[in-house]
Amino acid sequence: MRQFLTVISFMLLTIGAFAGFSNLGIPQIEPAPPPVEEVIDLGSMNMEQFIALGDRIFNGKGTCTLCHNSLGRAPDLGQIGTNAQARLDDDRYAGDAADIEGYLSESLTNPSAYVVVGFGKAGSDDTESPMPSTSGGSIALSDPELAAVIAYLQDKGGLEVTVEIPTDVEVPEEEPAEVASGEPRAPFTTFQELADEFACEACHTIGEEAGDLGPNLSAIGASRDAEYIRRAILDPNADIAEGFDEGMMPDDMGEQIYAIELEIMVDFLSQLK
Amino acid sequence: MRIPKLLQAVLVLVFVYYGFIVVFDYILGAVIPRSLLTMYMFFATAGVFMVFTFDEQGAHELVAPIKAMVEQPRFRFIRNLVFLIIPIAVGYNVYGRTLPSFEAPVELRTIHPAPPSTAKIYGNRVNLLTLENPFRHTQTDDPELFAEYVAEGAEVYIMNCQYCHGDKLDGKGPFAEGLNPTPLNFQDIGTIAQLQESYLFWRITTGGPGLPQEAAPWISSMPVWQDFLSVDEVWKVILFLYDYTGHEPRSWGEADAGH
Amino acid sequence: MNTNKKLLSYGILATLVVGLLAAFGGTDLSAAFAAGEEVAATTGGYGPAPVTTAADYPSVAGANGRLVVWIVAQLHLWFAAFVLAVPIFVFIIEVIGMRTRDKRYDDMAYEFIKVSITAYSLTAILGGLLLFALILFYPHLFGYLSTIFSDSMFYYALLFFAESAVLYLYYYGWHWLQGGVRKWIHLTLGLLLNAVGTGLMLLANSWLTFMMSPAGVDAAGVFSGDSWAAIHNFLWNPINIHRFVANIAYGGSIVGAYAAFKFLTAGTDREKAHYDWMGYNANFIAICALLPLPFAGYYLAAEIYAYSQQMGITLMGGIFAWLFIIQAVLIGALFLSANYYLWCGMGRSDGAKRYHKYIKYIAIVLIGAFLVWFTPHTLVLTNSELKALGGPHHSILGPLGIMPAKNTAVNTMIIFTFLSFLFYRRSNKVAVVRWERAGNIAQVALFAAGIANILFLGIYHGYFTNTVYKVAASIPQVMTTFVVIVTSLVLDSFIYRGAKDVGPLHWGRIPDRAQYALFLLAVAFTWLMGLMGYIRSGIRQHWHVVDIMRDNSADAFTPTLGYAANVVSIAAIIFLTMVIFVFWIAQVSSTKTLPSGYWKE
Repeated sequence: MRQFLTVISFMLLTIGAFAGFSNLGIPQIEPAPPPVEEVIDLGSMNMEQFIALGDRIFNGKGTCTLCHNSLGRAPDLGQIGTNAQARLDDDRYAGDAADIEGYLSESLTNPSAYVVVGFGKAGSDDTESPMPSTSGGSIALSDPELAAVIAYLQDKGGLEVTVEIPTDVEVPEEEPAEVASGEPRAPFTTFQELADEFACEACHTIGEEAGDLGPNLSAIGASRDAEYIRRAILDPNADIAEGFDEGMMPDDMGEQIYAIELEIMVDFLSQLK
Repeated sequence: MRIPKLLQAVLVLVFVYYGFIVVFDYILGAVIPRSLLTMYMFFATAGVFMVFTFDEQGAHELVAPIKAMVEQPRFRFIRNLVFLIIPIAVGYNVYGRTLPSFEAPVELRTIHPAPPSTAKIYGNRVNLLTLENPFRHTQTDDPELFAEYVAEGAEVYIMNCQYCHGDKLDGKGPFAEGLNPTPLNFQDIGTIAQLQESYLFWRITTGGPGLPQEAAPWISSMPVWQDFLSVDEVWKVILFLYDYTGHEPRSWGEADAGH
Repeated sequence: MNTNKKLLSYGILATLVVGLLAAFGGTDLSAAFAAGEEVAATTGGYGPAPVTTAADYPSVAGANGRLVVWIVAQLHLWFAAFVLAVPIFVFIIEVIGMRTRDKRYDDMAYEFIKVSITAYSLTAILGGLLLFALILFYPHLFGYLSTIFSDSMFYYALLFFAESAVLYLYYYGWHWLQGGVRKWIHLTLGLLLNAVGTGLMLLANSWLTFMMSPAGVDAAGVFSGDSWAAIHNFLWNPINIHRFVANIAYGGSIVGAYAAFKFLTAGTDREKAHYDWMGYNANFIAICALLPLPFAGYYLAAEIYAYSQQMGITLMGGIFAWLFIIQAVLIGALFLSANYYLWCGMGRSDGAKRYHKYIKYIAIVLIGAFLVWFTPHTLVLTNSELKALGGPHHSILGPLGIMPAKNTAVNTMIIFTFLSFLFYRRSNKVAVVRWERAGNIAQVALFAAGIANILFLGIYHGYFTNTVYKVAASIPQVMTTFVVIVTSLVLDSFIYRGAKDVGPLHWGRIPDRAQYALFLLAVAFTWLMGLMGYIRSGIRQHWHVVDIMRDNSADAFTPTLGYAANVVSIAAIIFLTMVIFVFWIAQVSSTKTLPSGYWKE
């Protein structure tokens, strides 16, 4: 027993020596706390956080990067800082913004006010933009969210951030990510609801809504059968219509929609003749 | 006469201790930090203990005098004396250590804080992980142009940097004496030679105020050069720094290929 | 992938969750169930990594979730390392026993595996506890990881059953499967046991390396469905190699401590001799595995740098830089105590006196190399020292703080540790070959050349060429060390061919002090593993899964090193208590009490 206690004391002493050295023998540096995460509470938000919120909307809910990305579907916003003023001064400018903040705000809600050469809708001679208004439709950003995106764009473009953080509005609680909520959404029952939810018409022309990043689907039923359409929705890159690029359409539709919704879409589209 | 083992051990340690002090403080002229010396002595003591006790005879000889002093009645006076002196010595040491002094507390800076993954430089978010020197490729593609860039960088350096970092890039410029921390010595193998060019770009453009929290205290007087120099000038200065010192910027790609 | 399998594994997980939660009434169940729903919601397609807020981390009975997970994970890892290592060297010892037909080896192997049986069930219990703690405190993280690793978790469970089955066969069949073909069958079982055990470790490693270097997912954390890509992520193999080697060294050191304790409490000389012999062998295994460990660690660190410079600088140059000073001190302590044990062990031979005079030189070089090894890059300077030096940079000591100096030091330490071993081997032998003198001169020349080469490489490549080569210089240094060790062993085996013994080896003739070196070895190993486990996990900083899933809990901050060291110390004390229990139980099973007059005659 004495032997046992000696050994135990020796071990405890050793551990104590290690701990003592770690605590006293070396300088204790207090590591920086984790960087602040964007808080949705606008009231207590500083500009950094507000810009970070804009960043998140830009890359997430706003679906901006679907087109404003390196594939060149839409103008590169990295240069927005230098370009914005030039566009305001351009003769082709049709809007009524006075400053860059106004220009950005207008671009988000009325994209056709100025269309960058080469990015207009086909046949419109760059007078009409294929971009949907981000304040309406399926994107439906609220005013504070739009302000955050503008702040983000100004920051990203190296401009002075002139946007003020709105304080008198309801807190725009971001929709919790689908996974986190765990609550399955109710299926949509009409094609139009689906088209709005997934912003199909941002790219495709279907009836009156006109997008030209993807093939015109107004009479798709005439040339393709239901099986083709089904596959085109689930695996868009399997067949690429002539004149369009691969990888433009999201390929995860199969994970976002219910089977019954797929059939609604296929039915609707195959009857467009 | 043979020196008793215990005395041998003590003499060795005293010799080592003053050996360090004499060699560093007087011969080499660069003081050995006392905190480090304490650690050195701890392990030197462990080493001496190991050498003197690994065989039975040595261990016996080492502890015999101590044992005798504690156990034998005839050493009573010495024993009492030792038992008095040791606590007093320890107490005096503790007293000395806890006594308030006018010495400023030891400050420890992290010399190479980890860079953030992105930094805002010249109004743009720059990804430091992928950033590369736009002029570096000329070193192999067009050596003449490269030499020109280096010369331009040298000019920028002489106009702006040498006051602190020195005309020999050794951190001993005319103003260096007045600064604490002293300006970095680029000739030293432990500074720019250990770093990638993007790291230098970040440190030069954002200066002392751009240091992350962990590099506190923020007492670096490095100016925020993005307010004074253009992007190209900074990159050219970086070319010059490496060219003049003969270091190569750290490059993980090549290092990987090495093994 | 096969949905049935997934469902089955979820079933297993869900049962565990519910069972454990039921046993833990009054806690916040909703979050854990939310995690379950997450799993269910994503079985069809894979969602992005969950974004959490501080409210998503349940607080249970006021316990600090991170501390609980930290300590339990660490305890699990220690036991797992021990349990995986023991079969490896039990296998080796069994082979030695079969070749030499020395029954002592077989008995020792059996004693080891007996100890590991109790440890095995403790490993499983701690694993379950870890799972429980993760689900309870980090439901979203666990939910996310389980969507990605559902397949491997399923196979993990299967392998676990296989491991148990083989282990029980191996242990309980030990005395049954003896002699001839049966022994071969038993040995095959041992091989199988190791294969399954290693498979288990590889799977578990992939989960944690995924958190450091995620693969198979996109920037938002959406899983591509390719399980192999997620498993075979960037840091998987570096961690595998490092852990495999370290486990062996660790298992050896724990068994060494066991033998040391048995030695100290042994009643008879026979027992003392046995446990001395056992301690020597365990220490030998630990040292053999310890020697390549610095290189495995270096490889891992280099790969972390290669994966992300940011992570690499956080690791070596940023806030964790001082942790490596603690590590250096501990590794130094390991080397010193291992050497001390070898020197003390020379007392077993009557011929060792011849080599005593060299020991002090080995000690001087070892200590010298060790001092270089732990000299920090950033020195703690008082203001007067700062003034005297003219700045924070020390012209002499500064260069000792960077990699080339460290590599040179560690290679020197390894070569001299090997030299200690060489002297130990020689201590009881007298060479009979005529060219002994020439052979010895060749040995001296070999060592001198090797050390000169290491010093040259370290100084030349470290200080006179650019950094690209600086990193590469470590490879020729390691090769030099390797060549010196192998050549020297071969040369020595020729010199001592047919050598005479000085006398019989006196097993058990070793001072008690030496046993404490073994205790120090075990404690230092345990503590060091805890510390390095902390940094391995800590360099993720405020990320659950680096750059993909952020840790938004209140405990996302990186603590100071002192705090981490205290947690590791507490965990180490708990672990040692449990280990003592395991050893005690193993002893109790062989103790019989015969009460007189208790049973009917």
